[in-house]
Amino acid sequence: MRIACPFCGPRENGEFTYLGDAKPKRPALEAGEEAYYEYVYLRDNVAGEMDEFWYHGAGCRSWIKVRRNTVTHEISSVEPAAGAGAAKVAS
Amino acid sequence: MSAAGQKNRLASGGLIDRNKPLSFSFDGKAMSGFAGDTLASALIANGVQLVGRSFKYHRPRGILTAGSEEPNALVELRDGARREPNTRATTIELYDGLTATSQNRWPSLDFDILSINQLASPIFVAGFYYKTFMWPSALWEKLYEPLIRRAAGLGRAAEKSDPDHYEKAWAHCDVLIAGGGPTGLAAALAAGRAGARVILCEEDAVLGGRLLSDGGTIDGLPAIEWVAKAVAELEAMPDVRVMTRTTVTGVFDHGTHAALERVNDHLPVPPEHQPRQRLWRIAAKRSIVAAGALERPIVFGGNDTPNVMLSSAVRTYINRYAATPAKRLALFTNNDDGWKTVEAALAAGVQIAGVVDARAEASAEQRALAAQHGFAILNGVVDHVEGGKAGVGKIVAALAGGAKATLEADGLAVSGGWNPAVGLTSQHRGRPKWRDDIAAFVPDGAPAGMVAAGSANGEFSLAACLMEGHSSGAAAAGDLGFGKSAGSAPVSDEDAAYSVRPVWTVNSKKKAFVDFQNDVTESDIALAAREGFQSVEHLKRYTTLGMATDQGKNSNVQGIAVMAELTGRSIPETGTTIYRPPYVPVAMGALAGHHRDENFHATRLTPSHHWAAERGAVFVDTGLWKRAQWYPLKGEKDWLESVTREVKAVRSGVGFCDVSTLGKTDVHGPDAGAFLDRVYINTFSSLAVGKARYGIMLREDGIVYDDGTTSRLAEDHYFLTTTTAKAGLVMQHLEFCRQVLFPELDVQLTSVSDQWAQFSIAGPNTRALLTDIVDPSEDLSNEGFPFMGARAVKLRGGVEARLFRISFSGEMAFEISVPARFGDALVRNLMAAGEKYGVTPYGTEALGVMRIEKGHVAGPELNGTTTAADLGLGKMMSTKKDFIGRVLAGREALVADDRQVVVGVKPVSPSQRLRSGAHVIAKGKVPAPETDDGYVTSVCFSPMMDRWIGLALVSRGRERHGEIAMAHDPVRGEDYEVEICNPVFYDPEGGRQRG
Amino acid sequence: MVELSWTETTPLSRIYRAGSHGAKTQAAGLSLAELSGFELVQTMARRGQWSATDQACREAYGKPAPARPQAVKAEGALLIWSGPDQFLVLSPRAGGSAGMDRARLAFAGMASLSEQSDARSLIRVSGSRARDMLAKVCSLDLHSAVFPEWSAAATSIDHTAVNLWRGEDDAGGAVFHLLIFATFAESLWHTLLDSGAEYGIAIDAPAAWQQ
Repeated sequence: MRIACPFCGPRENGEFTYLGDAKPKRPALEAGEEAYYEYVYLRDNVAGEMDEFWYHGAGCRSWIKVRRNTVTHEISSVEPAAGAGAAKVAS
Repeated sequence: MSAAGQKNRLASGGLIDRNKPLSFSFDGKAMSGFAGDTLASALIANGVQLVGRSFKYHRPRGILTAGSEEPNALVELRDGARREPNTRATTIELYDGLTATSQNRWPSLDFDILSINQLASPIFVAGFYYKTFMWPSALWEKLYEPLIRRAAGLGRAAEKSDPDHYEKAWAHCDVLIAGGGPTGLAAALAAGRAGARVILCEEDAVLGGRLLSDGGTIDGLPAIEWVAKAVAELEAMPDVRVMTRTTVTGVFDHGTHAALERVNDHLPVPPEHQPRQRLWRIAAKRSIVAAGALERPIVFGGNDTPNVMLSSAVRTYINRYAATPAKRLALFTNNDDGWKTVEAALAAGVQIAGVVDARAEASAEQRALAAQHGFAILNGVVDHVEGGKAGVGKIVAALAGGAKATLEADGLAVSGGWNPAVGLTSQHRGRPKWRDDIAAFVPDGAPAGMVAAGSANGEFSLAACLMEGHSSGAAAAGDLGFGKSAGSAPVSDEDAAYSVRPVWTVNSKKKAFVDFQNDVTESDIALAAREGFQSVEHLKRYTTLGMATDQGKNSNVQGIAVMAELTGRSIPETGTTIYRPPYVPVAMGALAGHHRDENFHATRLTPSHHWAAERGAVFVDTGLWKRAQWYPLKGEKDWLESVTREVKAVRSGVGFCDVSTLGKTDVHGPDAGAFLDRVYINTFSSLAVGKARYGIMLREDGIVYDDGTTSRLAEDHYFLTTTTAKAGLVMQHLEFCRQVLFPELDVQLTSVSDQWAQFSIAGPNTRALLTDIVDPSEDLSNEGFPFMGARAVKLRGGVEARLFRISFSGEMAFEISVPARFGDALVRNLMAAGEKYGVTPYGTEALGVMRIEKGHVAGPELNGTTTAADLGLGKMMSTKKDFIGRVLAGREALVADDRQVVVGVKPVSPSQRLRSGAHVIAKGKVPAPETDDGYVTSVCFSPMMDRWIGLALVSRGRERHGEIAMAHDPVRGEDYEVEICNPVFYDPEGGRQRG
Repeated sequence: MVELSWTETTPLSRIYRAGSHGAKTQAAGLSLAELSGFELVQTMARRGQWSATDQACREAYGKPAPARPQAVKAEGALLIWSGPDQFLVLSPRAGGSAGMDRARLAFAGMASLSEQSDARSLIRVSGSRARDMLAKVCSLDLHSAVFPEWSAAATSIDHTAVNLWRGEDDAGGAVFHLLIFATFAESLWHTLLDSGAEYGIAIDAPAAWQQ
């Protein structure tokens, strides 16, 4: 596979580390055990397009969000994680 | 040397260089050939027909093809450490001094005892593995498997390590072209002229493909001359790269291709510094498969007899290599292409015994040719060939009317039609589609960016190949925006339509092979059909059809066709199996490349490595690092003696250890403290500047992830350390927290692991030693530098350093770090200044001993199942803030009171050695999973306790200090009593480290 | 009291042997050199501070901060892109920590700075076969059309992070620079030597880095 890092350009997949589904959002502390259980363990097994987190660890060390078709490996979009670089993100 | 002994060498012609004779040996017999020969063509020239014995039945086999799809002529190439089994004689370029040996025969190729397997063939039928050797199962390992392995097998692997070098490399291009025949050359010319960066890969040593065997006229030039002109034009283009001896073996996602370059297989030994083979990963925006087509055999009795050869191969040997496999040749064909072999043979002075043509009507030209040369055209099929290891004897044909006819010949050329090479285009689970008009599968689409052209796309005339090659090359370049003219397509007038009348099997009563390499017969397929293994995927696995190294290139379509016939389905209904890379066999050496032996992975060296090596340190691989494990002194008899000495020296005096391997990260920014509060279970925002604190990170599931000491060097600057093992992973985790989980925090992370050479200096004389190292202005007293202090200091001589008053050994200790360029000097200074204190360098073993004596947890306890509370560190968990892992760490099972927690263990008998991995079982209980209370995680011989001690994870362990339990060690067959105790064996009050 | 001696090493100084290596070709296809005597500062803009950092860079170094994978020749320093909103400041070591001091002054409150002067080995790769050798260790497309002079990249060699840039061409063609992790330097150096041996390598005398 080749993934176009938004900062570095197209790179071979050996430079990236796969994390998984980018959908689950870390719950607030008060959300409780059930919410955390879901966040940590429950995953959709998507056959088709899916947003995934990848880490360009052997490159610019940015976390990126890759929209990939899990059946064909076609990548339709790549975007940086909200906090990649010096982006100002409101709390 | 002359052509002596080359009795089948034609007097003239061919693309061999008769001025360069080469000598070689086959099965120890000296032979000769010429430059430009393959081993196969040289064997044919020397009159050798019998080249190997088959896999299962040890049937005599010869040469079937002239390419990389060869299933029969597999030999052991070269000797000794360079011996390579199962190489295809048809692809081995002849070199002077080549040695090759036939394989899978004993005692000799001519007389092979195991050919009696043929008589036992009923037990070797399809599925024999599953049926014959099932019972009793104990016999499988001892009897059946060794027997089968000896009887059925291929060549012998070399018994020594391969002395040659292999490597991998990357290449990039706009257009990759697989195949340098007429289609590929036309495509490369078009794309190159348009301005694209082109890579053209050709498996053969020379470009031209079938033109080398079949000739023809292109742009008014003889084909060979046109090839030379095309190659010259390509080589003049700076962005076109022509790679011969290179096979594109796979296509992967997003335009990544694999190609194997046989850089030096054509030489006895690669030139110094050069690899034998190179595996290319080619990133191409577009690719064109111009890999041609493969002729297919027909299933008839004795179709595996030596000198039954594919018609196109016969033509290649005669035209390209000037070597004729037969003096009197017969042809069995179902299409016009086969007739070209008759013409080639006649031109070379070979007699034609007759042509068996499955088609009813011969053309006027064919009839005229037959009349002129006095041979018969028989309408029908070959039923079987009589012969054996001496080759073809008699050919028995079954004629259309039902009569039989016999031809006397010493060779039979067979053409069952042509299969486009659909391997590459189908590798992404694409299934090729059936074309009735050419009775063959053709690509039905291809991976993104890839197209097939020419014969690989089912276009079999030279004119069409040139046209399609040109247009696909021009289109690929145009797609990518290259606007220069692609020039005009090369032209040939050879545009005859291809017509074929499919004949898959003649239903002979004799043994007829479908898959030569795996010895799968027509009756095996019939058996599979009868037993219900009718799906092609079942057929393949049950009979092993297509599972040999030729991957069914010679057999799949016939196999599918036979199954279709047996089950009353059409060929497309029967379907194909899945195509997978590699297209041709790839040596493991090429896949490993440079990564073997000491280059298996990149190695990290500590700043004191060379000094430690000078001292004779024993090194241990810790991840990628080499770390000094202990420093033996002359006269010490084993590691235990050295390690014990090192521990005692530290605890009674002073020692030091290189701890530069710890992961070190600068955490900067206004929100650095808030950030650390979220990733550690304890609080760091409250840490004073100039202080260090031990921290624990959890995974979000509540399990301990990593630990280490983090110091606050400035209001907005922390220096975080991780364990050696997790350094990279923690960095990735922290970046995830920074960029994904908490992007609102203004914090920056930089790995500074390599910037600092860091040493732990420990023992009662640490302060005395350091006083001689640091600038006199620095105050190292308890008041001036209290326990857990951390700050920059100046060393004597002006070097800027950092000191951290932290201790892993339990002794009075500092960690000192200096810029790495001073690391080596610092070690030597410590040795020189410490001489009067008996300073002792210590390795990772002594480090480990001292941490076990102190009950400090490390990797064996941070094992991915333990919580902070399990490790005795539960009190560190803040209840005042959110941190990673907080919520799930509170789950019922993670706080249950019967959890296995860290305890100390010591054998009741002081002389008993403790072993890690031993299970802890309550006394009186029978060892079983239900009675298992935990296990011993870390052990050492404690010089201070003068006995073996250890740490263990034991259920309800903290309540059980003082209990005598059993250590049950089924691996070593030992059971002994141990006392469960406080994990802190040495100085439990902790006074020494604060001293 | 024992006299202390502070002999400096470079990441390769213990194994570095200037001279020829590999195939005895007429002219070496490849030149390698370890360059030392530099200061290296990792500069990372703080949140929302990239334009301020860029402005400060123009003022202090006379050039904009690299916003894409490039190496920028600035006043007394080379600014090498290393990731989004971050770059390395490479300057000759003039004694003390002048490079770090200058960066501190320039970027105070806008960017976080980390000392990396000892964390990397700087290797120059040049010669007609430089690209062929790099193709064996580096997955990037270094063709001139894609990677012209002053291009930079954060990538990896042998699974080890590397900052790579192309400087000014010399008579032998493209000149590449690699910043490799100091503790991996010996291992990667051997890999470079093995990969280039077939072209003949001239290992230049160790030298100080100069802009």
